[in-house]
Amino acid sequence: MITLGILSQYAALAFSLLAMAWLLVGLLRNDVRWIHAGKRSLLGVAAFATLAAAALGYLFLSNAFEVEYVASYSDRALPIFYKLTAFWAGQKGSLLFWAWVLSLFAALVVYNNRKEPDDRSTPYLYLVLSGCLSFFLFLLAAVTSPFETLGFTPPDGQGLNPMLQNPGMVFHPPALFLGYIGFTVPFAYAVAAMVTGTSDASWIRKTRAWNVLSWIFLTVGIILGGQWAYVELGWGGYWAWDPVENASFIPWLVSTAFIHTAIIQEKRGIMKVWNMVLILLTFSLCIFGTYLVRSGVLQSVHDFGSTGLGGYFLGFLGVTLAGGTYLIIESYRDLKTPNSLESYLSRESTFLFNNVILLSLAFATLFGTVFPLISEVVTGNKVTVGQLYFNQVNTPLFLILLLITGLCPLIGWRKASAENLRKSFLRPSVSALIAGAGLFAAGIRQPYALVAFSLCSFVAATIIQEFALAVAARSKLSRESSLLAAPKLLWNMRRRYGGHLVHLGLVLIVVGITGSSAYKLENQATLSKGQSLEIGKYTLKYENLRNYEKFNRSVYAATLGIFSGGIRLGELDAERRYYVNAEQPTTEVSLRTTLVDDLYVTMPGIERNGDITLKVNVNPLLVWIWVGGGLMVLGGVIAIIPTRRRVPR
Amino acid sequence: MKRAHFLVSAVMLLGVVFAIPRAAAALTDTEVAEGLLCYACPGEPLNVDRCGGGDQMRAAIKQMISEGKSKGEILQYFADKYGEGILTAPPKRGFNLVAYLGPFLGLLVGALVATLVVRRWSLTGRRSAIPDQEAVASQAPLDEATKKRIEEELSQLDKEG
Repeated sequence: MITLGILSQYAALAFSLLAMAWLLVGLLRNDVRWIHAGKRSLLGVAAFATLAAAALGYLFLSNAFEVEYVASYSDRALPIFYKLTAFWAGQKGSLLFWAWVLSLFAALVVYNNRKEPDDRSTPYLYLVLSGCLSFFLFLLAAVTSPFETLGFTPPDGQGLNPMLQNPGMVFHPPALFLGYIGFTVPFAYAVAAMVTGTSDASWIRKTRAWNVLSWIFLTVGIILGGQWAYVELGWGGYWAWDPVENASFIPWLVSTAFIHTAIIQEKRGIMKVWNMVLILLTFSLCIFGTYLVRSGVLQSVHDFGSTGLGGYFLGFLGVTLAGGTYLIIESYRDLKTPNSLESYLSRESTFLFNNVILLSLAFATLFGTVFPLISEVVTGNKVTVGQLYFNQVNTPLFLILLLITGLCPLIGWRKASAENLRKSFLRPSVSALIAGAGLFAAGIRQPYALVAFSLCSFVAATIIQEFALAVAARSKLSRESSLLAAPKLLWNMRRRYGGHLVHLGLVLIVVGITGSSAYKLENQATLSKGQSLEIGKYTLKYENLRNYEKFNRSVYAATLGIFSGGIRLGELDAERRYYVNAEQPTTEVSLRTTLVDDLYVTMPGIERNGDITLKVNVNPLLVWIWVGGGLMVLGGVIAIIPTRRRVPR
Repeated sequence: MKRAHFLVSAVMLLGVVFAIPRAAAALTDTEVAEGLLCYACPGEPLNVDRCGGGDQMRAAIKQMISEGKSKGEILQYFADKYGEGILTAPPKRGFNLVAYLGPFLGLLVGALVATLVVRRWSLTGRRSAIPDQEAVASQAPLDEATKKRIEEELSQLDKEG
């Protein structure tokens, strides 16, 4: 199986190089038969990459500890589910995962275009895809193969880090990878459009689903990563502005900007050059994220250390950026159109300002992430730029973004009249004022919290107002009841209302972040059986301590009775787990989640006499972050469900 | 419509008011730990870290909070002891100011460019909206059906959002 894996990797690399060669010959000879051969070779890459992935999966399942990668991330006691997902737990496996998925995506592009006639841009599209594939497959075959053997067979593997044995962690990396990899396809289409001087929005239309889907995967990856950190790491937070977390957030911001301006190009035929810049940036930032994780240049809890791959990724990034910039400059004349707006105040202009804010946030995050390196070069002093800095710098930018999110739907395409603006703004503004005044009266004094909640109210009100007016108009026209008109409207105009759902999700996330960061409570105490700890409205009573074995771990669980106002609400088990093959015990998080707050309990210590040390947090409104994240994903999915095109008579 | 709107606002407001504790809590060790790295685990924020070295730092923070020291004083204590690299936000002085001002400068430049672009494009739009007299004279007037179709297509564009 090891030989099959190695050979499959080589075969996949050979086919990707062949694809490049056939496509180049086809271009030089202007012969479509070579282009077809190139496309067929890409299908070959997918077949062999799948075989290599299957081989690695099999090696994990069969405990093939003679393979260095399997021995490093698995052991006999590991449950089968985690054995399979250990595939992407390390650097080498995640690289194979990347190449495999990219090969499947390339094959999917070939399949999707099977009925489309080849045009001048076809060979360039597949050349970019096969070029990227060749890069990743070369690294696997020649530099860092997951099929490398130890030269002996250890009796057992080192096992998977207990912290990675969590469902959120299982799906967080592949979701992020799918997002990163997905943006290769729109990037390839963009390059093909630039090389051939295609100035219409056809590449945007063809890649809309890829853009949004990749964005959805990035969103899922980021949300799951936050959720994993929250329930697994035990520090009570979900985002620490770690360099690698930032590396996923930056392309998310830029791709969000791209998705917005792509709409403008589709509808108005403007901002063609800008969209090329944004897709180039998005793709490059995805590669930059991969570089950060594998280069060891910045200290991060996520990185794979110095893997020796940093130089390769930096080179690939350099070629991508230099080539992309050259193409943008070269195709500037073809892409440049007489851009015109009918008014300062139009949705187009608000989209432009939304881009400014999103890119400012991306820039601030990138700048903060690499500032330690800049500082070291300039002053010789490597400073630390962490969560305190990012919270100070990014919070005001986020609030402006939230404001723009509310303003956009209120301003129509082309031109907004004063009357139209007055009508649209009145209710949301009143809503924001009422919310702000109400919260102030209720004792909320933190300026950021007041502004954030007021803006959330403003944005939510704009969305609800817009939907309610449209439902009213539809039910008036079609004489349907509002209850029937609302879902029909949502379905018929799913692209628009999918987008609004995404915005509503953002509002809920801001509510969750603001509540949980500005008003969290914390308490820590060592308790004997029968003693209690107070926090906010809750009392936690230490009632019992049990010890039992489960799967690959020994568990100590303290039962805590939860009371509020003298009423027993239920109980929580605070756990410490001792995993086979792990040197340190792990502290599990016990959580009682309601729509109002989270009661978050960890047990950092157990004494020999049965006393326990508890660390307890109350995180107000935190659950709305996950609800909002889910809503964002749902909105994105709704927005890309294809509509049946009307055939013109 | 109005009633629904105010109902939504009221529900949101009530939710937030009930969820949030009335007064902001006193300084906690986590709040201070957010501003520090663990001295023993390079790159790891103290509020995330769970090692023995971090425990020592957290105990020292607790001690200083009980002595009534402010967050700034506690952070300065650790900066003096381990160097400024222990802080998760560089002090706002010297070259570090670039880190704080850079993003806002970026925002300012971006906003300025966007304003200029919007201004230029809307000027172009207005110029092209002013009809050339000769061209107008040479053009046949649009028939009613075409006018209607154009209006429909434009309003469809608006609806599609």
